[in-house]
Amino acid sequence: MKLFRRLIESRFWVLSVKEISQILRNKQLIFLLVFPPTIQLLIFGLALNPDVQHLKLGVTDYSNTPMSRELISALTANEVFEVKSVTLDEHALGEQVRRGQITAGLVIPPNFNRLLKSDQPAEVQVLIDAVDANTAGIANGYMSQIINQFGRQFMPNVVPPIQTQATILYNPGLVSSWFIVPGVIGLVLNLGSSLVSTAAVVREKDTGTLEQLLMTPAAAWEIILAKVVPLFVLLLGEVILALSVATFIFQVPFRGNIFLYLFFAGLYACVGIGIGFLLATVCRTQQQAILTSFFINLPLIQLSGAIAPVESMPKFFQIFSLANPLRHFVTISRGVLLKGNGLDVLYPEALALFAFAIVLLTISTNKFRTQLS
Amino acid sequence: MKRILAQCSKELAQFRRDRLTLALAFILPVMTLFIFGFAIRLEAKNITLIVQDFDHSNLSQSYVERLYATNQFLPVQWSGTDPVRDGIERGLAKAAVIISPEFSRDVKAGKTSVVQVLIDGTDVNNARVIKNSIQAFTNAFIQDQNLLQSPSKILPRIRLWFNPGRQESLYIVPGVFGVILAIYPSLLAALAMSREKEQGTILQIYASSVSAAELLLGKGLAYFIVAIGQTLFVMGLGCAIWQLGFVGDPTPLLIGSLAFLAASVMFGLFIGVRASNRSVAVQGVATVGFLLSLLLSGFIYPLNNIPFPLSLITNLVPARYYIELTRDAFVRGTGWSGVWSAPLLLALLAFLLFSIARKIISRMQLSG
Repeated sequence: MKLFRRLIESRFWVLSVKEISQILRNKQLIFLLVFPPTIQLLIFGLALNPDVQHLKLGVTDYSNTPMSRELISALTANEVFEVKSVTLDEHALGEQVRRGQITAGLVIPPNFNRLLKSDQPAEVQVLIDAVDANTAGIANGYMSQIINQFGRQFMPNVVPPIQTQATILYNPGLVSSWFIVPGVIGLVLNLGSSLVSTAAVVREKDTGTLEQLLMTPAAAWEIILAKVVPLFVLLLGEVILALSVATFIFQVPFRGNIFLYLFFAGLYACVGIGIGFLLATVCRTQQQAILTSFFINLPLIQLSGAIAPVESMPKFFQIFSLANPLRHFVTISRGVLLKGNGLDVLYPEALALFAFAIVLLTISTNKFRTQLS
Repeated sequence: MKRILAQCSKELAQFRRDRLTLALAFILPVMTLFIFGFAIRLEAKNITLIVQDFDHSNLSQSYVERLYATNQFLPVQWSGTDPVRDGIERGLAKAAVIISPEFSRDVKAGKTSVVQVLIDGTDVNNARVIKNSIQAFTNAFIQDQNLLQSPSKILPRIRLWFNPGRQESLYIVPGVFGVILAIYPSLLAALAMSREKEQGTILQIYASSVSAAELLLGKGLAYFIVAIGQTLFVMGLGCAIWQLGFVGDPTPLLIGSLAFLAASVMFGLFIGVRASNRSVAVQGVATVGFLLSLLLSGFIYPLNNIPFPLSLITNLVPARYYIELTRDAFVRGTGWSGVWSAPLLLALLAFLLFSIARKIISRMQLSG
C-alpha cells in the first residue's frame, strides 16, 4: 500500500500520466497502432501466397484416345494443373507458352496409344514457362511425378521398389499464411515501435516543449522512463491485436506459451523503442526522422526472413542478417507459434534480442540525456 | 506551355539545391536494388538434412551418398539413436531422412521399402521444394540402380523455356525494377507537392493564374525527367550486375516506361496534394506504394494466387503491368504481340491519377 502510494506520488507517475493522456488524445497515433498493422497482416497474409495450384495447362492431344485423356485427367486430378486450352497445333501451344497465357503445355504424340499397347515406351513433350523460376521448378517436379506414376500402371511389376513417405511437420496442410503471418507480426511490431517512439520524442522537440520538461524537477531518467513505459504497454496491446488477427482470421496455431511470446514481444518492443529514440535524437525534424527510418526499416524488414526465407539468401546476407534484431524475432515468432518452442530452444535468439535491447536503449538514452542537459 | 516549363525549371532548380533529397533520389534506389536483387530468393540452397541410416547396407549407403551428391543438401551430424524430430524442432535441420533396417532386404525381396522423410513445414514453399526433390531423387535412384525390370512406359520430355537454368535472378531482378520505379519517383514528387503545402507557398500558386493542370504538369514534368534519370541509372546498374539484356524488341519497354513513370509521378503528386505535410506524404507513399507494388503486383509470387476481393485491386496497380513489361523485355521476349495492352493501361492509369489530382487542386482554388 505504501509502495503504491509512493508510486502514485512520484514524478515518474505524473509524467507517465501526462504521456498516456497525450498519446490517447493523439488520434493519429492510435490510428497508426491499430489500422496499418491490421491491414498489413491481412494483405501480407492473403497476397503473399506461394501455393502452386491451378497452374494453367494447355494440351495438344494428337492421339485423342481414352488412354491419352486418362493421362490428362491424371494431371488435373489433384488440382495442381487445370486445363485452360486445347489446341490441335503444337505451334499454337508453343505460342501460348511464349506469351505466358499458359504455364505448361503438354503434347501427346499420335502414336501414344499404339506404343503403349505394343509395350513400347511413349514420349510426351512438356513445355514449361520458366520465367518464374520457383513455380517452374515445382511444376516440373509435379509433372514428372504424375507422368511417371501414370506410366507405372502399364508395367508388369507394379510394386515400386522404394517409396518416400514425407511427413510435413508443424504445417501439414502447407497453409501459406502460417509462414507469412508470424513473420509479419514482427514486421508490424518493428514499424509500430520505431515510428511511435520517434514521434513521441520528436514532437517535444518540434514544439519546443522539451525545454519545459527540463525545467521541471524531474530527473532525466524519470523523463525517459515515463516515455518508455506507456509506449511499451501500448505496443504490447498492438501485439495482442496482431495475434488475434493471426489466430482468428488466419487460424495460425498457437502451440507455444503465450506469456513467453509476450515476453519476447516486450523484448523486441524495447529494441524498437531503442531504434526509434536513437533516430529521434539523431534527427532534428520529424521529416528527417521519417525519411531515415525508411532508410533503416527497409533493410531491416527485407533481411529478416519475414517475406523471403533467410535460408535462401546468399551466404553473405545470411551472416549479415545476424546483426538484424528483427531476424531473431521472426525466428522466435515462428518457433513459438508453429513449433511450440520454449526457452530451451530459443535461448540464443533471446540472448541476441536482450543484447540488442540493452545496447540500443543505453546508447539512445545516453544521447537523449546529453541533449537534455 | 510556357508556364508549365517555368514551373518545371523552378522545381528542378529546387531539387538540385537540396542535397539530401538529391542523395535520396539515387542512393535509396540503389540500396533497394541491392537488397531486393540479392536477398530475395525463394528456393533455399544447401538445405540442412539429417540422415538416419538403420540399414547400413551397400544400397542404403549409396542412396545417402547420391542424395548428398545432388548438392542440394548439407549434412548435419546426428547421433544414430536420438529422435530426428528434435533436430528439426531446434532448427538444426530442415529435413530428415530415415532409412529403415529392412531397406535393402525389402528391395531385394521385391517389396516396396519405405523411406521416411520428415520436413520442417514452417517455410511452406521450401517444404514443398524439399518434398519434391527428395521424391524426384528417389525416382532417379530407382532408374539408375536398375531396380525396376522395365523402365517407365511414358517418358516425359520436359523443356523449360526462357530460363532453363531456373535462375531466380531472372525472375526477381526485372520485378525489382518495377518496385523501385513505382516508389522512388512518386516519393520525390509527393515530397515536392507537400512541401508547397507545408510551407504555405501553395497559396501563392492558388492565387496566381497558374491552373491546376499547369501546376501538375509542370511539377510532373520536372520529376518525370528525374525519374528517367533514375530509371537509366537503376536499370543500367541492374543489367550490368545480373547480366540481363534485351531478348526481344525493346520498344514496348521504352514506351511502357514512359507511361509507367508518368503514372508513378502522378501517384506521388496525388498523395502530395492529399497530404497536409511532408511526413504524412512520405508515409502515404511508403505504405500505400510499398504494399501495392510489393505485394499486389506479382513481384514475388504469381498474381493468380491472390484471392478474389484482393485480386480486383491488382488491376489498379501500375507496377503490375510494368513488371509484365520488364519480364517480357529481359526474359521472355515476345514483344508487342504479347504485351501490347500494358503500355496502354499504364497510360490510362497515369491519366486517371492526373485527373483526380487535378480535381482536388481546382476545388481548392475555387474555395481559396
